[in-house]
Amino acid sequence: MLPLPVIQVLQVLTIAGAAPGVSGVIARAEARLQGRRGPRVLQPYYDLAKLFRKEALAPEGASWVFLAAPVGAFTCYLTVPLLIPVLTAFPLPLGYMGDILGGGFILSLAGFLVAVAALSTGSPYAQLGASRAKTFAAITEPVVLFVVFTVALLTATDLPYALAATVRSSAGQIIRPAHVLAAAALFMVILHETGRIPVETHSGTNEFGMIEEARPFEHSGPYYALLKWGSAAKQLILYTILLNVFIAPWGLAATGAPVAVLIAMVALPAKACALGCVVAVIDDSFAKLRLFKITEFAAAAFLLAVLGVLTVYLGGG
Amino acid sequence: MRAVPWPPGLPAALAPPAPAPSVYAGTANVIAVLILLAEFAMFRQALLRGQVRLYAGQSVLLAALAVLVGADRGLPELYVLAGVTIALKAVAIPLVLRRLLRDTEPDDPMSAGHDIAGSGGLSLASTVLIGIAVAAFGFFAAVALPVRGGGAPVTALSVSLSVVLVAIVAMIHRRDVASQAIGLFSLENGISLAALVVAASLPLIVEVALLVDLLLAVVVFGLLIRLHHGRAESLSTTGLTSLRG
Repeated sequence: MLPLPVIQVLQVLTIAGAAPGVSGVIARAEARLQGRRGPRVLQPYYDLAKLFRKEALAPEGASWVFLAAPVGAFTCYLTVPLLIPVLTAFPLPLGYMGDILGGGFILSLAGFLVAVAALSTGSPYAQLGASRAKTFAAITEPVVLFVVFTVALLTATDLPYALAATVRSSAGQIIRPAHVLAAAALFMVILHETGRIPVETHSGTNEFGMIEEARPFEHSGPYYALLKWGSAAKQLILYTILLNVFIAPWGLAATGAPVAVLIAMVALPAKACALGCVVAVIDDSFAKLRLFKITEFAAAAFLLAVLGVLTVYLGGG
Repeated sequence: MRAVPWPPGLPAALAPPAPAPSVYAGTANVIAVLILLAEFAMFRQALLRGQVRLYAGQSVLLAALAVLVGADRGLPELYVLAGVTIALKAVAIPLVLRRLLRDTEPDDPMSAGHDIAGSGGLSLASTVLIGIAVAAFGFFAAVALPVRGGGAPVTALSVSLSVVLVAIVAMIHRRDVASQAIGLFSLENGISLAALVVAASLPLIVEVALLVDLLLAVVVFGLLIRLHHGRAESLSTTGLTSLRG
């Protein structure tokens, strides 16, 4: 039996270690679907190593926030894995520090720090990206809230561990419309939050359509590496919430046995890569929405989330 | 599937999870919700061809639900109903509509398939929000009804009321005759859904009579579309406002 604090640290290390790899798999899958050879799966790790060796520059007049924000944001991203079921089916000691909303707050704090850093640069593109990111975050916020309402109605709590256990408990809990709708709405929010088609091109350099990707334009060297690593970690965290709480809470360690934890450490990246391939298919089969059409995407996600609450609150569906 | 107990370590004061509906009820409800989502998708559809396709898809979902209810409740006549539904609503009516639309198709090759993207009165996001409000009203209204259905689960009844109301919003929102006609036909899908919940064993002859009624509506609407197109040279009803005194 591994001590619980060790498992908790392993959760953070799994997320931080596997995140660039998951990004690499998605980039590779996307390229293969387009008929290109694509970058190596390990390319994000090489990129990070290269950036960490480079010199860091800050624009003239940028305040201390500019350099503090990447570190702060990265800290936030590594705090969330303490709260969610990454490796274990049972709650770990710090798992009760925050519920789903608590995790959401920490993720938005990270987004806020990056936005403030982008604002302090004075660069128009970084500021544009920050302002857009905050605007669209505001319209996807209600969707997340309604998803949390659904979870609360289904489990009488909003602890992610409770929903995962509920989903595992019977097939009826998986097929019920409230669960299907909430999971679909959350998936749409995740597409938005990770900057994927149809909201944003993930790896393009088209400044006009950029939202999240435009924010770190002025960062360089290790600070840029932290931001890139952070956004990969955020992507894996969101995938983990969708997989281990909503759609596939299997393969988690039921006890603290080293073998079970090891299996979970392999299972999570594997599941995330499978989900990433689905995302790559979506990336390659839809066009990017025009900026002013993103509200329609958010409205569709909101529709799913509200219907989820309605079916369970007024009919037990 | 291995049943995993309520995880140890959760506070004891927590209530157990909400009771799960049976797999049958869950599946039936999911299909019902998909029918509602198809209705919402009609708000967004930019081509009349696509609108017809959505209607056909919605009808296929309805037939699937009829088969499911029939299998679970042991009502073989529902299989017949599903067959008739598919033959009529998913094949015959879309064919008729497509032929009608081909006759009214503008010569301009760029507009093939009838672009109706701009025929909505409001922006898409606002329309969806109105649709959500109306659908919520349907849910609240259905809870007040003293129906404890014998066929499909009761949640599907709430969904069917919402389908009817959202179809009305779709008809009000669109300003072209063909979309309004399709809105009316899909409203009928909502009513069929309600019939499946309230009286799954509704005598087949009554259901078939309803379907023939629908066929009549298609003929009438077909005439109306042609007439309107002949007079106004367009499917849009915006020109009709000039009749006001």
